[in-house]
Amino acid sequence: MIGQIWNDLKSSLFLFSKYITRGNKGTLILTVLVATLAFLQINTISGILSGAVSLIYQQAKTNYVSNLVVQPGKDAWGNSEKYLTQVTALKRKIDAIPGVIASSARYTTGSIVSYDPDKTGRDVRTISWPVTSIDPSEDMQVSDISRHMVSGRFLDESDRDQVIMGREISGGFGATLEVQSLKGAQVGDEITVSYQNGVVRKYTIKGIYTVVFPLSDMSIFVTQKEMESVLGLHDRASEILIKTDESYPEQYYIDQLRRAGIVLQDIKQWKDFIGLVLGIAQSFDIIKRIILFVGLMVAGVTIFIVIFIATISRKKQIGIMKAIGMKQQIIVMSYVFLALFYALIGIGVGTIVLETLIVPYFVAHPLSFPMGFVSPQIVPSEFLVSVISMILVSIAGGFIPSWRVTRENIIKAIWG
Amino acid sequence: MITVNNLEKTYPGHVPVRALVNVSFKIPGGQFVAIMGPSGSGKSTLLHQLALLDNPTAGRILLDDIDVSTLSDHMRSEFRLKRLGYVFQEYALIPELNAIENAYLPLMLLGMKKRDYIRASTDLMVKVGLGDRLKHMISQLSGGEQQRVAIARALVNKSKILFADEPCANLDTENKGIVLRLLRKLCDELGQTILMVTHEPEQRQFADRVIWLKDGRIESEETICAEERDDALHNAYRTDETANDDQFLK
Repeated sequence: MIGQIWNDLKSSLFLFSKYITRGNKGTLILTVLVATLAFLQINTISGILSGAVSLIYQQAKTNYVSNLVVQPGKDAWGNSEKYLTQVTALKRKIDAIPGVIASSARYTTGSIVSYDPDKTGRDVRTISWPVTSIDPSEDMQVSDISRHMVSGRFLDESDRDQVIMGREISGGFGATLEVQSLKGAQVGDEITVSYQNGVVRKYTIKGIYTVVFPLSDMSIFVTQKEMESVLGLHDRASEILIKTDESYPEQYYIDQLRRAGIVLQDIKQWKDFIGLVLGIAQSFDIIKRIILFVGLMVAGVTIFIVIFIATISRKKQIGIMKAIGMKQQIIVMSYVFLALFYALIGIGVGTIVLETLIVPYFVAHPLSFPMGFVSPQIVPSEFLVSVISMILVSIAGGFIPSWRVTRENIIKAIWG
Repeated sequence: MITVNNLEKTYPGHVPVRALVNVSFKIPGGQFVAIMGPSGSGKSTLLHQLALLDNPTAGRILLDDIDVSTLSDHMRSEFRLKRLGYVFQEYALIPELNAIENAYLPLMLLGMKKRDYIRASTDLMVKVGLGDRLKHMISQLSGGEQQRVAIARALVNKSKILFADEPCANLDTENKGIVLRLLRKLCDELGQTILMVTHEPEQRQFADRVIWLKDGRIESEETICAEERDDALHNAYRTDETANDDQFLK
């Protein structure tokens, strides 16, 4: 039985090898070209979308909220607490957990920011926007903002009358949204911040940054000391950002934090803060699936048509092969091998082009997206899915037409 | 031995066509039989039923005492591969294969070792006079050469029965002579049972016996005498170029 199957397989491979070596080279090249293009289309566009999604996630973790955020829990009456308390002790517990790289406490409070560029009072630009405080040395460990100053410098711990702001707040520097913008504030300019509690302070803009991620670029930062003096608070915080080494999923670290006694506070993951952007990422996933489907259809239908034409034009030969006693499955398998060959060469050539031309090109010349610069990211699991799907589609594209033709009556196949 | 009992073949349709009507005959092993008759008499239909290429509507066919009417499609396919040879009207070869590959295809399908099937098919190709054409592609062979490759393919499995459907239909005089003498010699020297469909009266002389069909029925049978056969073998379709073709099968 196994010997028979092996012999049938050898016979199919023999026929297949002759189709390749002695068949029409033009058809071979064109079909492989279509398979290659379909494979490239699937993986390039999917790669770009994966790169975009990955960038969104990376931006959120690197420049927005880090991996985890501890926020105040609810009080005995079920109302949300305004501030975390005993932050120093809390941070000590957090920093002791294996895998936690750093943590940074922040205050955030509502304010009205005014900017009078010519100091005449005729063109005062005012926005209502929260101000966040940071400990600059701590924040550098949970966020990359300090490395993305486009003008001026990052805050120092001793700074009291200075702020930094993202480009979406200052305006200019290629800002894309500018919904709450001071429309052209520059380093060295003075702004007035009226805090929610009635305190009004004047600050000089020390630096303007952009991480090319609108959610991050829409922030105004003062130092922790400055904010504590404004709010009259000490050892408290609106939230603590936690940077992990990402050896485990976020939930693992949440469990560790809970075990360390941080039970009354809310602990959120970075994904909880990018709802709208996450929706975009999920839409990209849907688009990727559509592109995969369309690409596979193009490749599958092309292979189907090529095999269909090959079998129809060889109908008489197929009848003759059957007449001399060749089994139907040997003939069908030979065409399935042919279809697989088209697909595998297409995958091989496509992979080489992808890895040696397309990806390096886009790494050198990344695409500019609103959330940053995107280069294709070939996700191994998605690449594998495209390879397996392509193989399955080609098997179907080879099997269906050859099976249809080979099951025809011998007499009809030979003499029509 | 071929035994046919009450063979019927009706093609269904708006007006059903009875292609074979109550056909019965016996052919002993080693006999060369020509099936003749006018167009539409059922010659090819009969050959298709006997060669297991089609299913009869009724009746029995025994090939080497095996009732092939009851075989499944898979078993019929295996039976054709192992026991039958078929030479088609046109040079029914596979253009992607060269001459020797076409010839050894049945042996490869039977699972024979490569060395053995190449040797067996080469011997046969030499016997049919194509020893110097083994690696030629089909498109590089003449019509007669292609038909000889087809005969080699039909015989390579040592089939006991060879069916030939108008094997000379598309050949010139010279090649007709070559092919018919080859078939005759196969019968005489290898004891091959041959059933050949032809509509050319001159070709009947190469056979031992002729079955005449008309409107799907056996109209008559004729035995060809040895003298007539010998005369055909030596003189029919003979040209200067084929004066030495007797070397085949030696």
